[in-house]
Amino acid sequence: MLHSFVTQFAEAAHAAEAEPASGGVFGALGIDWQMLLFQVIGFVVLVLIMGKFVYPILMKAVDQRQENIEEGAKAAEEAEKKAAEAEANIEKLLKKARTEASDIVSTAKAEAGQMVEKAESSAKTRADRIVAEAQEEIAKDVLAARKALEKDTLNLVKQAAGLAVSGVADSKLDAQVIKKAVEGAKK
Amino acid sequence: MMQQFAALDLHIDIKTAPIFHIGDFAVTNAMLTGTVSLLIFFAVFFYVAYKVKNGQYNRFVGLVQWAFEGMLGQINSVIPDKTIARRIMPLAMTIFFYVLISYWMSILPGLDSIKWNGDPILRSIAADMNFTFALAFISLVATQMYAIRQLGGMGNLSRYFRNPIKDPLGSFEGILELIGELSRYTALSLRLFGNCFAGEVLLLIMSVLTGYFAALALPVFMAFELFIGFIQAYVFFILTVIFTSLAISHGPHDDHSTHAKQEAA
Repeated sequence: MLHSFVTQFAEAAHAAEAEPASGGVFGALGIDWQMLLFQVIGFVVLVLIMGKFVYPILMKAVDQRQENIEEGAKAAEEAEKKAAEAEANIEKLLKKARTEASDIVSTAKAEAGQMVEKAESSAKTRADRIVAEAQEEIAKDVLAARKALEKDTLNLVKQAAGLAVSGVADSKLDAQVIKKAVEGAKK
Repeated sequence: MMQQFAALDLHIDIKTAPIFHIGDFAVTNAMLTGTVSLLIFFAVFFYVAYKVKNGQYNRFVGLVQWAFEGMLGQINSVIPDKTIARRIMPLAMTIFFYVLISYWMSILPGLDSIKWNGDPILRSIAADMNFTFALAFISLVATQMYAIRQLGGMGNLSRYFRNPIKDPLGSFEGILELIGELSRYTALSLRLFGNCFAGEVLLLIMSVLTGYFAALALPVFMAFELFIGFIQAYVFFILTVIFTSLAISHGPHDDHSTHAKQEAA
């Protein structure tokens, strides 16, 4: 079985060798110069046609895509650069804002302190003035009260003395007694 | 199974089979498949170019553009000079995509079973040595052209031929470089041919060996061939770019004698 398989190939190979003996090695391999030349010319024409009509279109598309990619990459790079710059700016602004805020806070604190101090001093002055005014008012009231009291006392004394001496003394004595009483009251 | 295999009388021929003649010129089965591949290639790229030009994108256009851009990235990474990379691009791209489509044609069902006068009508053009040699020849000529443009005619020749009296080691190195140059491109063409041809034979043999289970077994090998096709197209493409890069970067500063002189100084 194996023998027939091997001999099948051997016979076929022998037949192939024997047949093209006239063409030599190239003939045995099926190389025909006319056909080879035809194939060369055909393929060169094919390359020229493709190089003239098809590849330039595909190359243009490839170049366009490459250009787009490069532009995109460049834009991304620029955007990244801008973002970094913006971030740096933001950082700078934040730093400045923080410094300014700190300054404002400290200034506000100082101003607030001053204001509080001023308010305190103003309030104190006002309170003192109010107290002084009140004291003055009180003094006036006391004086007025005293005067009224004095007047009332005098009247009362006068009335009391008048009543006490009305039966035993004349008008002259009466007057002297009253006067004495009044002086006593004054003291 | 072996008897059944032998009884099938498989016809595995390295040579492509002529289907018809135009005058003396034989139109082979590989050429027919190559024409179909060419039509698919044109359809795909002209459609994509039309859509891209009009700004109408869809998933297929996106896929082709993605592949195109990926390959362009590969060229740019191998050849730092953008102008030279742009010049080599049409050749390298056409090699990659055309070889890929042609290779993938080899997994089409019926590729070997539809016959005309006993010969299969369809056969991948990548399994035709004329095509792979033609590709390698074009790649070689293009590389030499770019090398001459970059280094000048004499500069390019100095890569291979140096004065054996002044620089014996360098002259030997130059001969090796010349042999290497020829062998590189021969290997490039044989590699593509060998892989594609072997892939077709593998699919044929597997379909015979698996018999009724071929419907289950073949998809696995077809998927494998799709992968190999991509690898081979990529290898041809990247090696063409690398050889060009090597040729244009091989300036006088890489000269062995110059190095020796600099070191001595």
